[in-house]
Amino acid sequence: MLTEEARRAAAALGRADIVVGIPSYNNARTIGHVVRAAQAGLAKYFPQHSAVILNSDGGSRDGTREAVLNASIEEPRLLLLSTPLLPVHRLSLPYHGIPGKGSAFRLIFAIARELKAQACAVVDADLRSITPEWIDLLVRPVLYAGYDFVAPYYHRHKYDGTITNSIVYPLTRALYGLRVRQPIGGDFGISARLLARYLQRNDWETEVARYGIDIWMTTIAIAEGYQVCQSFLGAKLHDAKDPATDLTAMLQQVVGSVFTLMKEYESVWRNRRGSRPVDLFGFRFDVGLDPIPVNVDRMVKVLLAGYRDLREIWALALSKNVLEQLAVVCRQAESNPREWRMPDELWARIIMDFACAHRALPVERGYLLRSLTPLYLGRVASFVLETESMISAEVEDRIEQLCLAFEEAKTYLIARWDAAGSLPEARKEAGRLEVKA
Amino acid sequence: MIGTLHEILEQSWRRLAETATAIIPPLLAGIVILLVAWVVAVLLRLLLVRLARTAWLDRFLLESGVCSAMGRSRPLQAAPLVAATIYWLVLLIGLLTALNAFNTALTNRIVEGAVFLLPKLAVAALILVAGVWLAQFLARSVLVWAANEGVPQPRKLSSGVRVLVVFLAVVAAADHLNFARTVFLGAFLLLVGGLVLAGSIALGLSAHYALRRRLTAPSGTGEGEERSLWDHL
Repeated sequence: MLTEEARRAAAALGRADIVVGIPSYNNARTIGHVVRAAQAGLAKYFPQHSAVILNSDGGSRDGTREAVLNASIEEPRLLLLSTPLLPVHRLSLPYHGIPGKGSAFRLIFAIARELKAQACAVVDADLRSITPEWIDLLVRPVLYAGYDFVAPYYHRHKYDGTITNSIVYPLTRALYGLRVRQPIGGDFGISARLLARYLQRNDWETEVARYGIDIWMTTIAIAEGYQVCQSFLGAKLHDAKDPATDLTAMLQQVVGSVFTLMKEYESVWRNRRGSRPVDLFGFRFDVGLDPIPVNVDRMVKVLLAGYRDLREIWALALSKNVLEQLAVVCRQAESNPREWRMPDELWARIIMDFACAHRALPVERGYLLRSLTPLYLGRVASFVLETESMISAEVEDRIEQLCLAFEEAKTYLIARWDAAGSLPEARKEAGRLEVKA
Repeated sequence: MIGTLHEILEQSWRRLAETATAIIPPLLAGIVILLVAWVVAVLLRLLLVRLARTAWLDRFLLESGVCSAMGRSRPLQAAPLVAATIYWLVLLIGLLTALNAFNTALTNRIVEGAVFLLPKLAVAALILVAGVWLAQFLARSVLVWAANEGVPQPRKLSSGVRVLVVFLAVVAAADHLNFARTVFLGAFLLLVGGLVLAGSIALGLSAHYALRRRLTAPSGTGEGEERSLWDHL
């Protein structure tokens, strides 16, 4: 798994108690700050532990790797009351294989295992709001409280993280019964035994290699019964995403990973009802957040174009009932786009229908998932219009309502799921159940 | 006079008797063979519908997308399909065996032709089914891509892809059957040539306009609007 270069680097370091991994691709502008924050965090909170900051780079051409190696906290302005007993090493290595965040993580985890690290934290390279405390909050629960997986908990702008808010959080919570608020946050703390489990798996060459990695890590930790907690990290501010980033591909990778794992962990989620909170570390405080511009009109336009052109594709996944309800709300949106709303129950059923279709139609799942983009943008537009005048606490309540709608729709999901996996005769029975649900 | 008439009648009767002796036994044999084939076909169809374990085939038809490629909203059931295929196959074998019972030059030619043509027909049918499946898959992929990218007229584009791939499958099937080979091949070459030409012209024109826009527009124009769709992720 490790290249010769990586093996040599790991051998030169010998061992490390803590590894902080930073996946990157053309992040020269911000990665220096992230490395310095990590370095300060390790020196301040874990002075007695040996540690390595490892940058796993996907072939940046803007000097990202140089920025990592040149970043230093050895400056007179920074005073540390604790004196680190051991130096914090910095390492920057290119990863190989499918380009993506997952492949970068794989290298980080493999080196962490090689170094026999007791805890590993991973943080995004485009963060502008990371502080040394993040490292403490991600690593301490693993080192001193016996947790295997530390998920982040941030304050984010109400329009930030909408894949999380509208799909991944409600669905993961409804399925596995744990309220992990930021399952695809990107900044995590991981124990050695969970690292070993990740590396043991053989699905690294799938959507996991790209944006699917975050939900893959979170789901495995929850579904396989590892100790999971959250740490409050404050605000999450990051560089604006690269405009070249393909929204559809990102959505496909994230949602595709959730659906793929649903099949694997069916026995885990099938009988779970409701949800329970997860331990939260860190002192919660309110912070000012950058406003996020959103273009609602354009999103509604994309939805209506999708409704016009993609209905035959949606019909492969959506039940007749859901398709009819969707037609009603879309017709309303055509006459008055500013009044457009997608009800929570309808949205929950759309997502669940797509999950079932993903299971039943493996050959067609690629374009099926891609056809979700207009529906997703429609849902985001509805959310934005509905929460325009709300403050963040009210928005959080609104997301809670959506989560409850997902939890309630689980009976519907199970009926559809069984129908999707069965043959025509069994479908009749499932159809009857579905109507009841 | 009467003798001649009698002779003619006798000859005619003899010829009729000879013909009847030559035709009636094979005809009777043919009818019996056909009846037996029909009974066997009906029995086989009944047995297959009731007893065939085709769950794996049902699953394959559903999961491979053949069902939706055939425009079916409900899943295809393999057992009746297999039963119907076997039914018609047994009937066809019965018909050929019955024809063979006549043992004439004409019937022998028909039987020989059918025996040689059947495998080719089966392969051609397979090519067509695969073509329709591929056409549906590609057309849907193009439709979703075009709709997500905001390409104008995505449905027309998708239909174009479907027609092109089905036409390609028809050309391949016709070529396999040696049927109107040159006509199909000529039409196909004309179509592909036309498409390549149209594509080249479109590419040249769009590159020209894109280049002009790039050179004249101030830097960063439009980026804000583009970003706003995914900044919130």
